[in-house]
Amino acid sequence: MKAAQTILPLVAAALSASAATAEIPTPQQLDFFEKKIRPVLVEHCYKCHSATSEKIKGGLTLDTREGLLRGGETGPAIVPGDAGKSLLIEAIRYANPDLAMPPKKEGGKLPEAVIRDFEAWVKMGAPDPRGGAAATVVKKYDTSNAKSWWSYQPLRKAAVPQPKNSAWAKTDIDRFVLDGLEAKGLKPVADAELLTLVRRIYFDLTGLPPTPEEMDAVAKSAIGNRQLAIEQLVDRLLASPRFGEHWGRHWLDVARYAESSGRDENVTFPNAWRYRDYVVSALNRDKPYDRFILEQIAGDLLPTSNAAARAENLIATGFLAVGAKSLNETMPKQFAVDLADEQVSAVGQAFLGQTIGCARCHDHKFDPLSQRDYTALAGIFLSTDTRYGTPGGVQGRNLGSLLELTPDAALPVVARPMSATEHQRKSERRDSLRAELRGILAARAPDNPNRDKAMSEMSAFDVVRVFTQVATLDAELVNYDETGKPKTLAMGARDRSLTSAARTDGKAKGKGKGMPSPGRGRQSSGFETIADAPLFARGDVNKPGDPVPRALPALFASVRAPAIPKSASGRLELAQWMVSPQNPLTSRVIVNRTWHWLFGRGLVASVDNFGTTGERPSNAELLDFLAAKFVADGWSVKKLVRSIVLSRAYQLASTHDDASFAADPDNVLLWRHSPHRLEAESIRDAMLAAAGALDLRPQAGSVIGRAGDGPIGGPRNRAMTEEQVAKADHDARSLYLPIARNVPPEVLAVFDLPDASDVHGAREITNVPAQALFLLNSEFVAKQSRRLAERVLKAHPGGAMEKFEERFTLACRLAFARVPDKTELDAARSLLAKKSGDATAAWTSLARALFASAEFRHLN
Amino acid sequence: MNTRLCNHITPIHTRRDALRLMGGGFGWLAFAGVASGTSAPSPLAPKTTHLPARAKRVIFLCMRGAPSHVDTLDYKPKLNADTGKPAPKAGAKLLGSAFKFAQHGHSGQWISELFPQLAKRADDLCVVRSMQTDLPAHPQAFIKLHTGTSQFVRPSLGAWALYGLGTLNQNLPGFVSITPPSGFGGAQNYGSSFLPAIYQGTRIGTDGRPIAGAEMANLRPKISAADQRAELDLAQTLNRHQLARERVSPEIEGVIESFELAFKMQTEMPAVMDLNRESDATKKLYGIGTPATEDFGRKCLLARQLVEAGVRFVEITHGNWDHHFNLVASLRESSAAVDQPLYGLLTDLAARGLLKDTLVIWTGEFGRTPHVEGADGRDHNVGAFSLWMAGGGVKPGHSFGRSDDYGYEAVEDKLPIHDFHATLLHLLGLDHEKLTCRHAGRDFRLTDTKGAVAKGILA
Repeated sequence: MKAAQTILPLVAAALSASAATAEIPTPQQLDFFEKKIRPVLVEHCYKCHSATSEKIKGGLTLDTREGLLRGGETGPAIVPGDAGKSLLIEAIRYANPDLAMPPKKEGGKLPEAVIRDFEAWVKMGAPDPRGGAAATVVKKYDTSNAKSWWSYQPLRKAAVPQPKNSAWAKTDIDRFVLDGLEAKGLKPVADAELLTLVRRIYFDLTGLPPTPEEMDAVAKSAIGNRQLAIEQLVDRLLASPRFGEHWGRHWLDVARYAESSGRDENVTFPNAWRYRDYVVSALNRDKPYDRFILEQIAGDLLPTSNAAARAENLIATGFLAVGAKSLNETMPKQFAVDLADEQVSAVGQAFLGQTIGCARCHDHKFDPLSQRDYTALAGIFLSTDTRYGTPGGVQGRNLGSLLELTPDAALPVVARPMSATEHQRKSERRDSLRAELRGILAARAPDNPNRDKAMSEMSAFDVVRVFTQVATLDAELVNYDETGKPKTLAMGARDRSLTSAARTDGKAKGKGKGMPSPGRGRQSSGFETIADAPLFARGDVNKPGDPVPRALPALFASVRAPAIPKSASGRLELAQWMVSPQNPLTSRVIVNRTWHWLFGRGLVASVDNFGTTGERPSNAELLDFLAAKFVADGWSVKKLVRSIVLSRAYQLASTHDDASFAADPDNVLLWRHSPHRLEAESIRDAMLAAAGALDLRPQAGSVIGRAGDGPIGGPRNRAMTEEQVAKADHDARSLYLPIARNVPPEVLAVFDLPDASDVHGAREITNVPAQALFLLNSEFVAKQSRRLAERVLKAHPGGAMEKFEERFTLACRLAFARVPDKTELDAARSLLAKKSGDATAAWTSLARALFASAEFRHLN
Repeated sequence: MNTRLCNHITPIHTRRDALRLMGGGFGWLAFAGVASGTSAPSPLAPKTTHLPARAKRVIFLCMRGAPSHVDTLDYKPKLNADTGKPAPKAGAKLLGSAFKFAQHGHSGQWISELFPQLAKRADDLCVVRSMQTDLPAHPQAFIKLHTGTSQFVRPSLGAWALYGLGTLNQNLPGFVSITPPSGFGGAQNYGSSFLPAIYQGTRIGTDGRPIAGAEMANLRPKISAADQRAELDLAQTLNRHQLARERVSPEIEGVIESFELAFKMQTEMPAVMDLNRESDATKKLYGIGTPATEDFGRKCLLARQLVEAGVRFVEITHGNWDHHFNLVASLRESSAAVDQPLYGLLTDLAARGLLKDTLVIWTGEFGRTPHVEGADGRDHNVGAFSLWMAGGGVKPGHSFGRSDDYGYEAVEDKLPIHDFHATLLHLLGLDHEKLTCRHAGRDFRLTDTKGAVAKGILA
């Protein structure tokens, strides 16, 4: 491993000085250089690696001796006298595909004789008469000023502006917004109509539409004092359990929550739902956001006073475990490093809006994060034992255990109970298969003289089959105690032990314990204890360099990064550093996301990227004002939401205005409320609600939790079929649908449920024909349309064309939270006139047209 | 290239830009019509390519499970001669091919007796015998073949192609995957990842089940066409009424147009997919009517119908080629299932003048070991495997690359997956270094930081 990844210009001078004083080449050596080396360099290398190159590749120049010694991004090109350590030789030998030079499109590998000349030349000390200073390599991206980027600066306390129009603002938020508008000569549109606003607030706070009764009640209470009525409504909705279900789902997008591993084998995570419920509950109880972060990153390391709190803290660390995983990865070391990388990336983006993962293989090209910073963080997660709990066997070469929670926490368990007899039968079967497998493996051991016979008698495929049977039984049995009672299990994380010998963690049972474990047929990942991670050259796990002490990146000066003790992973220190009130990113990022979830656009449009390639805030003073207030208010998400929703800026109408549109088409400055489409869950829930079928009871567990371990789909040992997941249906809220990677519920996927492989503070909103086809032809929409039809017919009984106006008005109130106008009544009446069939069929058609309309799925 | 589409700026915003330019409400398809060739607002509108395109469309025939290259396309006389001798892998024995190879066509391509029909089109084929991939595990290799990496979730090949090229028929999906597997990455293999969802593949059918009767999700109305039209008319009246109320709303306009598009797709897609409109001779050409070739024949004919109607990228998955045991019988069976349909597809495309600008690719995710596994099987081999391409822009009747005398490792003109992808995009007129999408703070491409176009493949 070369000590320096990047030879900085500063040290280049020193290097060239030492080179200049190196031994003086003999005439024969110089002759060799001129005949054998220089022509090759000129012909094959200068195009990309000289002062005259159009673009110097890899920061490497080869047209001076200094350039060769200084090297490029991967280190010095040659070590005079040592061909084996010279990258240039490694490159032209084509030994390393990452370095292979010259590239194929430039003629490819040099002839063998030429390569030998180069080796000989390096061995003789690389005599080279070419003097002069190597060209200064201008880095394509200069990160030297990146630390001055706005998001790394401390929160600024700006005075609340005093806009010219002093009468308009209701709250300080309004003063910031209006000030921004006035600076561009814009004016806000009028306030939203009451019923439009009420519908908006219901959906934004709870993800559900208001019922006609609720609309009536608000309308009544608003007579006289509209703002007071709105205030009371907002408080009521914030206190409703529906708030946490809706806002919890926002956070689950950020947390890349899913109930399966995705990628290659897509194995279920039957206990992921505990984390889902934790998030919902945290939002409902308005758990302070700083505490929320501490628990998710380091809940296992926090002191607690009782079993329930302890269980809750452990479940919170599920954040670290629910990411996508390549369980079929053949190299345990690669798997461990990929897992830590996934965690570093998710933590960085979820809490700080930083793309730290970009610095895995090289220094971040845009942000002030070095590969060393990355490695220091990766060490924290490589010192962490992530309990994701998937079974071993063919489907999962990388099995994982779970956290066992104490029964004292009295948490629900959804796994199917097993009878004691069944448990015993399966244990015995497992034991006998294990014995069989031991025999097979012994017969196939390299030291067995009859190995060839054993190999020919049983194919590797059959061995794998036995192995898988054992692993599957192991994985199942470990979920139960001896009586067949399911244990209370959760995904999450723990610190690794200090020494590999001192593994005292026997209680949290490994799935497939003993089969296969490190040292028993399965090589160790090399990450078994709390330790610093090596810096991998170009991110290659086969090229570990010196360990980098675990530490927090020096992104900004405002927070003193706490030192990480030798005896701990460092997750607690990481979390504490994040939630320091002086950390300028944490509060800004969550405040901005909250703004995005209420306005459809963040004050910083790139909600998950606060790095230098992200956007600048449209109203920096407002963002800092909100962030500071958020921290001062005890990191209360509900208070933040309340203050935004009660602002006049939030309560604007969505009316179009030509002049404002021309000046600010994306409504960055908020001259109106941007109309936007509902999220997938709300579209589905609103259909169920209008149909009168929505079951508001929270659901324990999930379909996947009940199905248990195994791949989704596939031929062997599967937990569920794809259809069971993709077409899962019930009348409870969408939050409780199974969220598996690669096979999302169809009803949500069609309306842009995000791919849970990345952090998503914002969702994509598309408008594609597949959505129209879903609305027109799917079973789900047909069913809810029929239910809505039956509901209005039941409310106003009679023949197909009777009580038309009452029925249609009710349907519109249920679907749009308003009464229809004459045009709409006429259009609906003419549809009914055209329809054949009975009243239910006709009204089902009508109901589907309402569900299909733009208004149903858009908020104004 | 409009990379803005990728920066989580949705088509709606792009539409808004267009509307701003046009000064107000205006049907966007109409707008796309008048403005075609300029900055058309539809993310699916045909786009200008970086380079002259040699192929306009792709039929990607994916043989899931990995066919044995040394039994199909890579003739190894030395392996046959050394059968039973110790293999380079400790304890393993070499296994010569049970199948006879012969040279075919004017080009003299070596093809085994497993493909008697395909061999008749030898002069159309560019056979690559130096393919390489990284990991000898199906899921990783399958995902890598489709997305360039198994380590991260990335957009699929078809999604990149659609993103770079747009589609030729807005009434049909631009990227169709026929019977993709549920495992091995599942939807990831035709997904769009961080590319806008509009570029993701549309699935028809499921791997392992017959294609007959399979169709796109939610394509069939459960009510009569007249009833549905009446229903749609009401929805559209409500939409237009709302649009009038709000004066300008790209979102509502988008909804109105997507319904008309969907309504057309409902009739056009089944019509395109209707095999009954094909002559008996054509069906026979594809092997339809013969049980062994019926299913794959239907898939191939469907692929031709789709590309002919303007679908940009069609993938067909055929499994299972994972012949760890019963190699001789199973490989014979798998090959027999595809041979006539492959011949039919190439012959039909050529007869219709489509082959010259349709790129057809036949490949597995890796190859199989030259040594035996068990008594009659081969294990996974990533150092060398073979594929063939035909049509748009590839050298016909050409052999590219070579593996060692046994077929373990590619030794000449190695073609790793990134290079294969770079070449494929090149044939479509796309520069793999320029086809980028900004995501999470940086520009991503299908070939990551690698990839070189294999010029020796280009016609």
